[in-house]
Amino acid sequence: MRPLHHLLALAPLALTAFAAAAADDAPAVASGGVLGQQLVTGLSNGMIIALIAIGYTMVYGIIELINFAHGDLCTLGSFLALTVAGALGMEVWSGVGGLAGVILLLVTAATFCAALNWSIDRVVYRPLRSAPKLTLLVSAIGCSFVLVNLSLFWGGLPMQVFGGGVAAAAPKDFPALVPDNSLLPDAWNLNFTTSDLLVWCVTLPLMVALTVLVRSTRLGKAMRAVAQNPTAASLMGINVDRVIGATFVIGGALGGFASVIYALYNNTISFQMGYRTGMDAFTAAVLGGIGSMPGAVVGGLLIGVVRALSDGYIEARWTNSVVFAILIATLVFRPSGLLGAKLRDKV
Amino acid sequence: MLAGAVLLGLLDRPLGLNLLDPMRGVLVFALLGLGLNVVTGFTGLLHLGMAAFMAIGAYAFAISTCDIYPFQIGFWPALGVTAVAGALAGFLLGAPTLGLRGDYLAIVTLGFGEIVQDVMKNLDAITKGTQGINPLPAPSLPVVGEFATDERPWYWLFLVLLVLAVKLCRNLERSRTGRAWLAVREDQLAASCMGITPIPVKMYAVATGAALAALAGGLWASLYQSTGEPGNYDFQISILALCIVIVGGMGSIDGVLVGALAMIGVANIALPKLASWMQAQGIVNPSNVLGSPNNWKYLVFGVVLMVMMRVRPDGLLPARLERAGGGS
Amino acid sequence: MKIVSSLPRTGSANAQTTSMVNGIRMALDEVSGAIDGVKIQYEDMDDASPQRGNWDPAVEAQNANKAVRDESVIGYIGTYNSGASKISMPILNTAGLVMISPGNTYPGLTKPGMGEANEPRIYRPSGKINYFRVVPTDDLQGRVAAEWAKELGVKTAYLLDDRELYGKGIADVFEKRAKEIGVTVLGREGIDPKASNYKALANKIKASGADLVYFGGTTQTNAGQIAKDLRSADVEAKFMVPDGCFEQAFIEAAGAANLNGKTYITFGGLPADQLSGRGAEFRKAYIAKFGAEPEAYALYGYEAGRVLLEAVKRAKTKTRADILQAVAETKDFDGALGRWGFDENGDTTSRVMSGQTVENGAFRFAKVLGGAESAPPTSAPGTVPGE
Repeated sequence: MRPLHHLLALAPLALTAFAAAAADDAPAVASGGVLGQQLVTGLSNGMIIALIAIGYTMVYGIIELINFAHGDLCTLGSFLALTVAGALGMEVWSGVGGLAGVILLLVTAATFCAALNWSIDRVVYRPLRSAPKLTLLVSAIGCSFVLVNLSLFWGGLPMQVFGGGVAAAAPKDFPALVPDNSLLPDAWNLNFTTSDLLVWCVTLPLMVALTVLVRSTRLGKAMRAVAQNPTAASLMGINVDRVIGATFVIGGALGGFASVIYALYNNTISFQMGYRTGMDAFTAAVLGGIGSMPGAVVGGLLIGVVRALSDGYIEARWTNSVVFAILIATLVFRPSGLLGAKLRDKV
Repeated sequence: MLAGAVLLGLLDRPLGLNLLDPMRGVLVFALLGLGLNVVTGFTGLLHLGMAAFMAIGAYAFAISTCDIYPFQIGFWPALGVTAVAGALAGFLLGAPTLGLRGDYLAIVTLGFGEIVQDVMKNLDAITKGTQGINPLPAPSLPVVGEFATDERPWYWLFLVLLVLAVKLCRNLERSRTGRAWLAVREDQLAASCMGITPIPVKMYAVATGAALAALAGGLWASLYQSTGEPGNYDFQISILALCIVIVGGMGSIDGVLVGALAMIGVANIALPKLASWMQAQGIVNPSNVLGSPNNWKYLVFGVVLMVMMRVRPDGLLPARLERAGGGS
Repeated sequence: MKIVSSLPRTGSANAQTTSMVNGIRMALDEVSGAIDGVKIQYEDMDDASPQRGNWDPAVEAQNANKAVRDESVIGYIGTYNSGASKISMPILNTAGLVMISPGNTYPGLTKPGMGEANEPRIYRPSGKINYFRVVPTDDLQGRVAAEWAKELGVKTAYLLDDRELYGKGIADVFEKRAKEIGVTVLGREGIDPKASNYKALANKIKASGADLVYFGGTTQTNAGQIAKDLRSADVEAKFMVPDGCFEQAFIEAAGAANLNGKTYITFGGLPADQLSGRGAEFRKAYIAKFGAEPEAYALYGYEAGRVLLEAVKRAKTKTRADILQAVAETKDFDGALGRWGFDENGDTTSRVMSGQTVENGAFRFAKVLGGAESAPPTSAPGTVPGE
């Protein structure tokens, strides 16, 4: 059955490719030297996705919950960053002072998201520890709706943020606090801006710090223990609820950092931005092997690059399908994701 | 519950309740919920892509009946085509998921939902893309009433179809297949040791669920005389179906019906009525984002979900197995 | 008597529809909420649902059915999205309830031969027309946009659309006309309106070297983000958008710096500050009441409300049939958008189109588009704008 089953599984991928080719009636655009640029764009986008994906994968690893609310949590973080930027009058890049401002935004958003995530766990998920998994899932869905509405309200409050903009539901311009010029010499013909640099400079150290946390600290060990077997962990004297709370805090903090980076990179936030971002991040987490942090990073980068290449060389309208087709194809051949533990259903 | 529904149908006009119109939506989504219940409730496969089957059903129905296409086979045969198309889609889209564990399955089904949506939108030579396919014919039954102008015949038709679907599900639940599904849900390894081959069992579950969802899609399209745009069959529909099943009680047929009533009732009946009432009372203050009731809809919906899950974690009408103290 | 409107009030279209509703309320205030001594109530219905975040066919159908069943309802102002009208038009048509849209621009709703083979017949099951609109359709707007592009010296264009009914439709019209008048279309892409950025697409467009990027879409489908990403990828091309982006929220979403001097917006009608006569009075009153310039949609909402109320005044009896008749007979209506009437399809005879640019973070009227046949109306009585 296996070869047939694999063949059938590739059907959607083939279907997508066929459909894309058949429907491609747009004239071809010369795209030779642009590959490098697409890769730069793809990798930067991918890093942001990866950072959010880590939040998903951490929570999943520890309580097996797909935290649908995570993307919308990041949205709130962005709105907070916008408010703080507005309150402090930050409008454009202003040298070292500007850097301090960006760091302030990062720290504020991370703290806020960490606290909020912890509270959500405490209020919504903790009472449901012994409930069926799907009950938790629906609660997370409900939570995501609530957070989306809070973002809507936030966007409508009469704050004088860059042009007023009290249209609650409209997307909001986030000030370009990071300059937009290319850092590479013109001859290279590659546009690597300070925003790209910022993405890398924030996400890489965070990932390293996280890896150190999980591998070498007591909390990290406790997290791994709870992820493996909560009952045994509690028998070993680990306070499971506290460890779970800490996981939400860390995941939330990462989400907070990601939200500011996202806002600085895309220069736009809106109350519904959590939808696509969340879906991409969750897909990345699964692609890399859910529960595995390096997997989330690999998945995120891969999805970022795939999106950029699909937009550039296939057609933008098929990009979502291409991403999912690749996900499905990957999972068919590696059912636990790229770096996930080998746990295959004994069929 | 059936008695209540029949009573509502008879009394709605005389009492001026005007509930039959939104209730039709409840009935269609109950059908969708039944489909998901077979896949997730009975068989334990978390499926986040029911919207894809609903879309396939709606478009299959539309392509078979609309006068833009050469087929034009009429309402009742088209329903049959819809169900078959759904089952077929279930087989095709179910196949890759067989070796996947729990949440990996979920993301793959979510992916299918997105892919189908994109295909519908982009292949607009066949599907008319975002224009939607219209008009679609209404059924005509001699005695019941005029479908074009009255919402009551629709209500009765949907009710009858829903009752048939419920009967089907109950029979399946009690049959060998149904028990195999439950066995696979509880412990796949043990089930296979007992001689149940999980692959055909799972395939059958997905095909049945898909057929029911496709039927719901076809009826939906027929009700609005248009498929609407492919964007209407997006992830939110899949989420809504999941909420219906879980809030109602996973694996419980009665639960699904109650869940549909609760979810669609809140979203399409209670909230608009509340908003209307608030407007009539002049409470609304449109210049402030907090003052307009429409801006609270997400919040209310989300809070209702969270509260329901907190108060009844096993659902409003859990399946008897759950209530007996077992749990998955 | 009661008037209802059905517009998407939940979700991202809220900004436009709020200004439309403001316009309708103003029209009602002008007649002091009563005609011939009979009070007129107004209900602002929402055709969006929280789970969709956008218009919902079920909710739209519900609104239409509710309006039909409520005997006191004599007019239905809606919808904003052309797709929603497709759902409610047949319902309202069968009931003979007049429907006036302040925002639908898809031509197939009224014009035979513009949409599918069976449109618009399928929207009129009773055989009579009950649907009218106060905005010119996309077949006009897309055309003049392409012609304006040519006038601006554009030789090559890259087209984008949001894959929605409105956006794709108008981009199709633009593409067709552009090819006819000698503007080379280098590429055509449908975007995902929910994507976080379009940098990869911008890279592609930069490589193509197009003079102009045309986006068929609205602020809600991420027009602002596209403008931003084009600039951050150093795309030098001009950016042209249709009236779905003609609102302050677009400039805010895109960031004024990204739009200044390079952006062109078409609009079916004249912008508020160019109006004379009734239009100028409306603008003054709006500013006095709401403290801000009326958005384009406020004008459409106001016009739709006014034309309905005028018809109610003129109608022999205050029944749905007579009011419908009176609306259909609207000719030489002295409106804020000029003097116009409804033609035999239910479309407005007003052909005035305008082009705007963005300067210093605000819209600036550039010119009237479309040539002699769309000369701006004067407010002198007895003058009817060209057919």
